Amino acid sequence: MGRLDFARCALLECVLRERGAVDWIAVGLSVDVPAGTVVPRRVNDTDMAIWCSAAGKLHAWGDRCPHRGMRLSHGFVRGETLSCIYHGWQYGMDGTCSYIPAHPQLEPPKTICARSYACNEQDQMIWVALAPTQAKTPDAEGRRPVRSLEITLPVAKVAEGLGHPMSSLMVLGGVYDLAVALQPSTQHSCVLHAFAGADQERKQVSRHLEKMRAELESADA
Amino acid sequence: MREAVDDHWYPVGLLSGLEDTRKTLLLGREIAVGRNGAGVFVRDAAGRALPTVARFGHLWTSPGQPTRDLFTIPEADTPGRQLVDVGSVRVKCSPLRAVENFLDIAHFPFVHTDILGAEPHTEVERYQVDIREEVDEVWATEVKFFQPQAARSAEGGIKTEYMYRVPAPTCAVLYKTCPPRPGEWDVITLFVQPLTEEWCEVWPWMALYDDQSTMAEMVSFQQMIFMQDRSILENQIPRKLPLDPGMEVPTQADMTSVAYRRWLKRIGYTYGAQLVAA
Amino acid sequence: MILYDYILSASCYQVRLMAALLGQPLTTRAVNFHPAKEHKSPEMLKLNPKGTLPVLQDGDLVLTESAEILRYLTRDTPDWRGQDEVWLSFAAALNGSIGTARLHDILSYDADIDAVRRAGVQHLRQLEAHLVEQRFDGMIFLTGHTPTIADIACFPTTALAPDGGVSLDVYPSIRLWMRAIRSLPGFIEMPGIHRLHELEAAP
Ligand SMILES: N[C@@H](CCC(=O)N[C@@H](CS)C(=O)NCC(=O)O)C(=O)O
Ligand code: FES
Ligand SMILES: [Fe+2]
Repeated sequence: MGRLDFARCALLECVLRERGAVDWIAVGLSVDVPAGTVVPRRVNDTDMAIWCSAAGKLHAWGDRCPHRGMRLSHGFVRGETLSCIYHGWQYGMDGTCSYIPAHPQLEPPKTICARSYACNEQDQMIWVALAPTQAKTPDAEGRRPVRSLEITLPVAKVAEGLGHPMSSLMVLGGVYDLAVALQPSTQHSCVLHAFAGADQERKQVSRHLEKMRAELESADA
Repeated sequence: MREAVDDHWYPVGLLSGLEDTRKTLLLGREIAVGRNGAGVFVRDAAGRALPTVARFGHLWTSPGQPTRDLFTIPEADTPGRQLVDVGSVRVKCSPLRAVENFLDIAHFPFVHTDILGAEPHTEVERYQVDIREEVDEVWATEVKFFQPQAARSAEGGIKTEYMYRVPAPTCAVLYKTCPPRPGEWDVITLFVQPLTEEWCEVWPWMALYDDQSTMAEMVSFQQMIFMQDRSILENQIPRKLPLDPGMEVPTQADMTSVAYRRWLKRIGYTYGAQLVAA
Repeated sequence: MILYDYILSASCYQVRLMAALLGQPLTTRAVNFHPAKEHKSPEMLKLNPKGTLPVLQDGDLVLTESAEILRYLTRDTPDWRGQDEVWLSFAAALNGSIGTARLHDILSYDADIDAVRRAGVQHLRQLEAHLVEQRFDGMIFLTGHTPTIADIACFPTTALAPDGGVSLDVYPSIRLWMRAIRSLPGFIEMPGIHRLHELEAAP
């Protein structure tokens, strides 16, 4: 199992490098995953459950409960644990199962474990890495996050439309002093996470982003 | 010889609901189901008539050559029961996942909260499971669970006893303690029509002792329960049911599920099953 | 007050939820919408010639549109009213797109499924854009700091979008808005909308 996983990771890393992919991928604004919540995210076709404990600690796990395969992102956070909605199996900070409600006296074997990914918070944005990386999370240089928008185009098309080579954080500048991070979700869609200059009126920026998305999508249609 | 997937009987409609001819899928192939004069028919895409059985309020068919009669539920024939046509719901999951979920009690407190279960009453005590060779069925007995509202007619929490039975790969029957009639069992079934390996039409049906509830209330109760399961079933990964151990982690509470998977493997029923860990 | 009700109907749930949040007693009469099509029975057609649910009966008064029922239930509670007209129409539009996709996927209703899902995505994008702006102003509900019938009208169909194959994963503000509604005192669930188990103490 361990060896297979390692082989898979190495292969994945290779494929991603070839596609010009990036180490850290933004998956959402910190304010959108407040303490005590869990959300689903898809990153390069990998389903993740991103959750924030009551104490504010962020985690990125594979979105699959080892018990019967239910998506953990449908689960619930109690204190520093994430529970699966199906049978309530509870997982602690290190991803191992700590409690099985059907067998309250049982100490679950340590081998029952959710898969976890590297997850960092920087500039109030949540970043994940699919494979181990030495790289630093990108620096938004004082900009503040505005919002996330799904775009129904492959990530490469969006980067091309924006006239930028793909990187973790693409500085577009302009009147709103934009910087965007693209999260490739499926083959056909991605999510754009936008930062703007700290003193920009966020409603204006949000409307600008809506327009930008409409233009990108209609240019392709 | 063992039956092939095609040789089993499958539910394809409610007898009370056969008005216009309905096109549907069975095991990935198009069929037409309807009424002609006094009778009912099922035809395959080539117009060939398929065998039919009318039982438990449903029309059953088989695209192959069934070697056995459709199973029976003798308990459901005892007089005084309300026979409840619950209707159907489509679900994007393997037919086998739908059956397995029906055999599971450990999810009651989290998915059917305050109805079929509630925290902190989450413990599943050891029960009996066996594969009955002589009838080729999976049975679980002496299954007990604390339930806040066991049935539409139940008032207050009770410890309910269940028996589970898998008489065919895509069908399950449960017998549960019946609040108004101690000593009798209510019969609740889940008949699953495999549309494809990852898409099914689920036909619950019930034979209950209940003099208090209207038919609409009993239907409503069961549709509520099943629709609570649907959002689970559509979010299990993979959509197919893994038959090989290793991909998922069972505990003692899952003995019925383990026996069901083992039995499917033994009889070679792999439609909707995932055989190698992906 | 009697609600002729169907457990899987998002429109009926608007009414059940509103009454629960207001603490108003409501008698529900289950109608066998599926599979028996009882909403088209002679008795039901006499009550509501349109043959739809919900139907609310209060003495001699009979109301057959969820929007007017929400207004009726909140007639004496101005807190629950706001700039809601536009959102009540929006809820009807959601019912036409996402609601139709749901009936198609669950009960095999006829629909141009790709078209209604596409329309549903456009509606969700509008809703998300509005809620993003509300949150910039420190508000989580559609029309202000507290919920109104606008929220109760739009919540059910939105929350049930995945039932019709329309994902809610990519709308962070919609998700937090739904969470705020699910956290309201008196909130009740419906099949497909689970309660927030985290609000209950761990055993
Ligand atoms: N305008 C109605 C729409 C409600 C609606 O679509 N009801 C469905 C049940 S979920 C219905 O009764 N459909 C029956 C039909 O359209 O024939 C409202 O919101 O009150
Ligand atoms: S599938 Fe997660 S607890 Fe059973
Ligand atoms: Fe269930």
